[in-house]
Amino acid sequence: MNVRVVITALALASWPCSAHRLDEYLQATTISLSRSRIRLEMRLVPGVAVAPMILKTLDSDGDRVFSDAEQDQYVKRLRRDLDVTLDGQPLSLHLTSKTFPSIADMEEGRGAIRLSFEAEIVDTRGGARELRFENRHWRPIGAYLVNVLTPEDPDIRVVAQTRNFEQSSYRLSYSLSSRNPMYTWFAAAAMLTFVRIAWWRRFVGPREAPKP
Amino acid sequence: MRTALLGLLLAAAGLAQTSVSPVITAANRFLSTLSDTQHKREIYAFDDEQQRARWSNLPVGMVPRGGIPIKEMTAAQRSAAMSLLSTILSARGYEKVQQIMEADEVNRIQESGRGGGQGKGGFKQGKGPGDPQFGKENYYISFLGEPSETKPWMLQFGGHHLALNVTVSGEHGILTPSLTGAQPALFTQDGKTVRPLGQESDKAAALFNSLDESQRKQAVLSFRMADLVLGPGQDGKTIQPEGLKASSMTTPQKNALLDLIAEWANIVHQTAAAERMAQLRKDIDQTWFAWSGPIDVTPGKNISSYYRIQGPHVVIEYAPQGLGGDPSNHVHTMYRDPTNDYGRSK
Repeated sequence: MNVRVVITALALASWPCSAHRLDEYLQATTISLSRSRIRLEMRLVPGVAVAPMILKTLDSDGDRVFSDAEQDQYVKRLRRDLDVTLDGQPLSLHLTSKTFPSIADMEEGRGAIRLSFEAEIVDTRGGARELRFENRHWRPIGAYLVNVLTPEDPDIRVVAQTRNFEQSSYRLSYSLSSRNPMYTWFAAAAMLTFVRIAWWRRFVGPREAPKP
Repeated sequence: MRTALLGLLLAAAGLAQTSVSPVITAANRFLSTLSDTQHKREIYAFDDEQQRARWSNLPVGMVPRGGIPIKEMTAAQRSAAMSLLSTILSARGYEKVQQIMEADEVNRIQESGRGGGQGKGGFKQGKGPGDPQFGKENYYISFLGEPSETKPWMLQFGGHHLALNVTVSGEHGILTPSLTGAQPALFTQDGKTVRPLGQESDKAAALFNSLDESQRKQAVLSFRMADLVLGPGQDGKTIQPEGLKASSMTTPQKNALLDLIAEWANIVHQTAAAERMAQLRKDIDQTWFAWSGPIDVTPGKNISSYYRIQGPHVVIEYAPQGLGGDPSNHVHTMYRDPTNDYGRSK
């Protein structure tokens, strides 16, 4: 009998059927792409039946408060359970924001932990790119969702998203158009000309002739 | 001369009576039944972003809503509130909303029967914290801004498994983002089987069954969809579309897809729905249909598969909830316009 079967049996005996997520730990990730940055937003919602297990690891001193240190510890643990690579190279993700719910909200299955991570992309050359995202966090009870947001930059084109059945393993193929250096120089030259004309008109340009 | 005068009078009458006028009248009639204290609780500033986003699939005891609940209304107030809803919604939209509320009433009775799962970690039924507050009395109505023919305003109505956010801007009525759901999604009332989201299930199954093998190969997602991707709290996001693009569908299949989309687009009153459907019909070739889950369908039962419809101006998700019970009997759906949620055109 696996962990989930036992938890489900206990949950069905003790919780109303209307309770929302029960025996799973929902972990929804959205990925935003830009030329020089990748952003991951994670929303983690433990079900009512599994919340006590998650709480035990989160509220390690049992004082029913998620202290900053406990939150940081949890983020570290989650981070260890994630593998994120770009073109085979591990991405150095840093946490940019975190929100933890109250213990009461978590116990009732409505508490969402929200975390945002970012990674700088050093190599911004154009061409085919591949991002891989593996999530092993609480794997036996994990219910995973992973999606890329439609890129705002028209130079970025999503080619394919591939996932395993549970969505714990995700591969994103995308392409990045090369920026033509000639175009960049032309744009810079045009901008400079515009600024010079504006400056000339403001300070040097033809003035109104003095009235006789 | 007399004919011209009559023409002028008719034109003036036409200008005064717009398609939104009955909605404004019904809204003002409801507001006029409220006491001063209720009025203050009922109307938020149009730019109140917290209230705008205060909607959920969860019961009101778990995620408190703004405005006034039905249970606190007098008979006259209830009647005016329901009259407003029936005016701002289509006949089918209003019926759907009533069925969703009835389903929650069935849910409440079932939960009361089993004691609401009282005990450690479970929900308590009754008053106080932890009470999820199910049932048809626990639906809230609120306004953002005052009803107006010229200035934008918004009507919110919702509770467990229902969140209608209708932005009214002149003649336009925008229903996105809105959430519909049901548990039980199939029940008996007065000897009749009721399926609040039955058409959403049946039409999707019919469309799916009309796909040939190569179309199915594209439409079927090979992974599990555990929940809505763009549910509550996910405003402003546009995910990459997946599945089968409708440009690869036959004309009857495209029409079936439009007919399926109409289950959400036609919740709002007829004029607004017609405008919306015209927009979505124009987009049909850029609209995608994706399916995840069992491909077998039992007639008269709801599907237990997830599906998503996504186009330039629409995202629809249908997500059965596998939460220990029969997923086909507990459904959440989401309806969005990534370019115009809450009437904020991009």
